Amino acid sequence: MTAASAPQVLAAGEQQPAKPTSVHHKRQALYGYAFISPAVVLFVAFIAGPMVFAIGLSFVAWDLLTPSQFVGLDNFARLVNDPLFGKAFGTTFVFAFASVVTHIVGGLLLALAANRVMTRALSYFLRTAVFFPFLISWAAVALLWKYILDPTFGLVAYYLSKIGITAPSWFSDPSWSLPAIVGIDFWHTIGFTFVILLAGLQTVPSTLVEAARTDGANTWQVFWHVTLPMMSPTVFFATVITFIGAFQIFEPMQIITGGGPDNSTMSIVMYLYQNGFQSFQVGYASAIAIVVFAVIMGVTILQFCFSRRWVHEQ
Amino acid sequence: MKMKRRLSTGSLLLDLVLLIVAIIMVAPLVWLISSSLSDPADAFSLPPTWIPNPLSLQNFKDVPGLIPFGQMALNSLVVATVSTVGSLFVSVLAAYAFSRLSFRGNRVIFVGMLSALMVPVQLTIIPVFVLFRNLDVVDTLTALWLPALINVFAIFFLRQYFNSIPRELDDAATIDGAGHLWILFRILVPLSGPALSALAILTFEASWNNYFGPLIFISSPENMTLPLGLVTLQGGQGGSPAVVVFAAITLVVLPVLILFLLFQRAFVESIATAGIRG
Repeated sequence: MTAASAPQVLAAGEQQPAKPTSVHHKRQALYGYAFISPAVVLFVAFIAGPMVFAIGLSFVAWDLLTPSQFVGLDNFARLVNDPLFGKAFGTTFVFAFASVVTHIVGGLLLALAANRVMTRALSYFLRTAVFFPFLISWAAVALLWKYILDPTFGLVAYYLSKIGITAPSWFSDPSWSLPAIVGIDFWHTIGFTFVILLAGLQTVPSTLVEAARTDGANTWQVFWHVTLPMMSPTVFFATVITFIGAFQIFEPMQIITGGGPDNSTMSIVMYLYQNGFQSFQVGYASAIAIVVFAVIMGVTILQFCFSRRWVHEQ
Repeated sequence: MKMKRRLSTGSLLLDLVLLIVAIIMVAPLVWLISSSLSDPADAFSLPPTWIPNPLSLQNFKDVPGLIPFGQMALNSLVVATVSTVGSLFVSVLAAYAFSRLSFRGNRVIFVGMLSALMVPVQLTIIPVFVLFRNLDVVDTLTALWLPALINVFAIFFLRQYFNSIPRELDDAATIDGAGHLWILFRILVPLSGPALSALAILTFEASWNNYFGPLIFISSPENMTLPLGLVTLQGGQGGSPAVVVFAAITLVVLPVLILFLLFQRAFVESIATAGIRG
């Protein structure tokens, strides 16, 4: 969209001053620089500058107090050999994968089920109930769910016991702690996926669906051959956004588990936080941050290439 | 005839499933609110009490004794308001320049800023922390709203929106002798209501809910915002009674819920149209 519209705008902009006097031109440029200057100063101070500084920090050893020491690529060498970083990296990918699958499958099912004639009351209740948790801060969500999943007085343990299942003690069992956080994250952010996918679903022309029905396609065939391909750009966008968000998961780990038990919920950002702001190994933490950045950049570039292909196909 | 009936039973079944899904989604919040309204002795009894009886406000009265809740709420409000108003002002000016004014470097600077959308906050936070330590603003509210004033997505989104507004309007105003500030604030801004309100909702919500920034920059309770303050409730001095924690969570969630129920359409549309979060 950017690439397509920008040249047109620039072309229009160049045509606009029919015969620009140099005074007119200078005045416009002056206003241009004045108008962007607050944004540029803030951008340099809080994004571009820190980014360059962070890359520099990844080559030093520094504890924020004593003078820093240039160590070359030592921080990155340490990353490769640090089993805990390897574990955090793997855990984060598992979490992100689980998050993408649950959100996309759950979101699609909900959107498909909701995109039909319903009573107004049900439609309103469903949309409100599914979307609202997305607006609550992670701090409140994490605290609330810590109690909901409590093995003695929590809701989940109680209702599971009603159907004869003994609930695990989620946050002290290394094999249940990460699934529990996947579930909490699903409750918290499924509303976002739902809204995005429902918006995409509503752009699929109903004439296409009706035509396929008339040709004798069943519900599954209509979904697989018509609806899903038509909304694939939206699904892809939701996938990328969910992945990037999940890859930076931090709050539930920090608030509920502290990365435990047995480092089973140690995410990359949690590990970055511990190194940077608890043991003050600023250089090492910056190297971890660069890995996070590289993964996000890779996924974004992938998205850019793919979505371009899709736009051309349509 | 037969098909229609089959379809409607299927439809009814689907309605039922959706109803159950919706109930499961709200159950945690209902439990939260009803527990916090219960008498401290009755809360968390099993089976769960969904309707508190007797109703008690004791838990809410106990919150300020544990954390400076009022001060924290005020901090949250100040930081979110300054972040929202300030970032929209900065973004509107920059978006106008990128959309309407020709100057050397226009496109290069715009694309440069846009590419920074990929930069995660975790990469920049350590250098920003070092910068703030040198400027002596660590543990102040300034450390929370100042970095929020640059919002590259808002600049991009507003530029796209301004591009969709016909230039003939500016030209007519220029002929009448209007300057750029006048065109921006009297013509483009009033025509950009939907875009501005969507960005305002997203920015305010992101700031109101932010936990990572306050965790890094703030250490004194009286400078904390609500999300960080909530979490200190469970940590400090052996932890606070769970019902009081619940009352505090309710006090944080309830205003958002009320605003959401009042302006639901605006909320959902802001996500659907501008649905990219930091």
